[in-house]
Amino acid sequence: MAITPKMWKTIAAFLFIISPLPAFVISLFIGSFGLSINETLGVLVSRIFGTGLDYPGMYNSVIFDVRLPRILTALLVGGALSISGASFQGIFKNPLVDPYILGLSSGAAFGAALSIAILPTLPLEPAAFAFSLLAIGLAYLMARNKGETPVISLVLSGVITSAIFTALLGIVQIKTNEKALQSIVLWIMGTFNASTWSKLNESWYLIVLGCAVIILLRWRLNVLALGDEEAKSVGMNTELYKVLFIVAASLVASASVAIAGIISLVGLIVPHMIRMVIGPDHRLLIPLSFTFGAAFLVIVDDASRAAFGFEIPVSIITTLIGAPFFIFILRRAKVGGWE
Amino acid sequence: MKYSKLLIATILMMVSISLLIAGCTTTNTGASATPSATTTPAPQTVTVIDDRGMTITVPYPCKRIVFLVENAMNTMYAIGGADDIVGIGDIWMPQYKEAFFRAVDPDYNATLKISTSNGADLEALAKAKPDLVVLWSADWNDKDTKAISENLHVPVYGVYLRNFSDIYKQHRDFAKITGNEQRGQQVLDTMNATMKKVTDVTATIPDNQKPTVYWMWGDVYGTAGLHSSTNDLINAAGGKNVLNNWNNDTKYDEHPVLTMEAIQALNPDVIYMWYNPKLDPKDVMTGDDFKAWRNISAVKNGRVYELNDPFLDDSMTSRLPLVVMKIAKNINPDKFASLDLNKEYDAFFVSVYGVHYPGYAKA
Repeated sequence: MAITPKMWKTIAAFLFIISPLPAFVISLFIGSFGLSINETLGVLVSRIFGTGLDYPGMYNSVIFDVRLPRILTALLVGGALSISGASFQGIFKNPLVDPYILGLSSGAAFGAALSIAILPTLPLEPAAFAFSLLAIGLAYLMARNKGETPVISLVLSGVITSAIFTALLGIVQIKTNEKALQSIVLWIMGTFNASTWSKLNESWYLIVLGCAVIILLRWRLNVLALGDEEAKSVGMNTELYKVLFIVAASLVASASVAIAGIISLVGLIVPHMIRMVIGPDHRLLIPLSFTFGAAFLVIVDDASRAAFGFEIPVSIITTLIGAPFFIFILRRAKVGGWE
Repeated sequence: MKYSKLLIATILMMVSISLLIAGCTTTNTGASATPSATTTPAPQTVTVIDDRGMTITVPYPCKRIVFLVENAMNTMYAIGGADDIVGIGDIWMPQYKEAFFRAVDPDYNATLKISTSNGADLEALAKAKPDLVVLWSADWNDKDTKAISENLHVPVYGVYLRNFSDIYKQHRDFAKITGNEQRGQQVLDTMNATMKKVTDVTATIPDNQKPTVYWMWGDVYGTAGLHSSTNDLINAAGGKNVLNNWNNDTKYDEHPVLTMEAIQALNPDVIYMWYNPKLDPKDVMTGDDFKAWRNISAVKNGRVYELNDPFLDDSMTSRLPLVVMKIAKNINPDKFASLDLNKEYDAFFVSVYGVHYPGYAKA
């Protein structure tokens, strides 16, 4: 029996859905500590089923305090950035948009730098989170005119907001010492090296909440993607849904950036990958972006923490993978369902 | 109308944030008086070679020097050159240091302050009429060196400390430039004698009995590589940089960044933190964000220490032997049980700076 294109699509969708599971399991066995597969399995079985086998405390710590929170954080952040990117691409009707389009990353970087270099009493993650939301709020308010928020105004105000916060970041950078500067640069590059249960506990519910809103309302993105006039003609309150999607997508991206730093291109390329295989229908695109984005970032992070024995900021690898892929997308005649 | 108000409010907010940041940082620009003396050609000159290998010729004795790098200014105070300082760059964490500077230099408040946050302020420098400018620089062609030497025609001494001997050389150079050779030698003798109190003991510790040390920079996972001056600090204090046991070539970098698993695998006996305003040893030992560190020997045994005083613990100044002493006492407590740090600090300050520690009362 020949496999029809529809069947291929179904198989691909199934693979995208389950992709986080193998990524999660494989990642538990990867790391520079040097635990063998048997030891890792032994520690896992012993902890889960209480077999009573005694393993050194350090082995437990490596798996349950280092790898597990890191993998879960990468899963959540990967899914969040991808779903956020897919939403923004839908709202803006533009394939080149990513979660940072409204100045979120510049705001977060400024907040983090402020905490690292100027106000050490200000906790880093909340500072990054608050300033990323402030940046988005400013961009939205600047774009809003006569009760409407034209897409082109949003894009331009995002560029302006980003420039403002980049300038403010520059002030912090020139005022600080070289060690703090190094910390700022490392934070901006994005890494999961400092993932902990406490950080995960502080942000997982924000990400889940934002993702739940996007997933539940996802079919409306199909209507929004038609354009404001067309959406209004079918009775949709475009402003309300734009605000809802922008708030939800910004919330998940801000919470992600706060715990992991600025991770480039994931929110841009993952939705494209899904769109190329599955098509532009947001009813499938949104959930699959979340699951595949999660798996993608966990695998990339495996490379960043284990491939070289020392830590390479994960954003460097996502950029090195993402940039050629992006060029590939640009050179395609059909941009993954956008034309 | 409403839109315009919003825009104006946004702009005002941005300006306020900029001013707030500027206000929160330490800026010394524009402070205080301009020296009234004028530069007169000196009949003699003196030549030294800076840390970059650049030959510098200045009038002898050099009486008008601007310090845009703080550690070298400390050296100047030690070798008795306070009167020859005519300009001072930005000070990092001045709240910990300025009381000392005022104690050893009565003219500190009046000395021209020159902003260095965006490169050297050339106009402020020109106002100081220096015979020499001292700044942190790794190469001959850095933009500040070029701007100062080409625009102001003032020689520039580049400070770039890579190891202990660079710090000692700095003392010799400034003593020579200012004509304070004898005083310079006295300071070096005190430094050597203080250092010897530590190294005479640590030299006898067999290699396999030296505690392994993980040096924690501000970014937590960043540490001191084997080719760094901090590695020399650990060795002198009788420790062994834990990176010696790491099978990765980046261990020779100045500032390698490790994964948490690599730190766990190396399992250091001691964790030594550089001054970190956001973190204390207690946080590393019991903080929620440091759960993964709990099984590391250093944490299990409560052996996490910090250089917690940005002034006293500055290893790039004459106080280097005091820093080594403090680390040695922490990481080898049994070997230095009888060493009274406060007594040592006071004796050193009296000998090198002519003031007591703490309090900086004239000796």
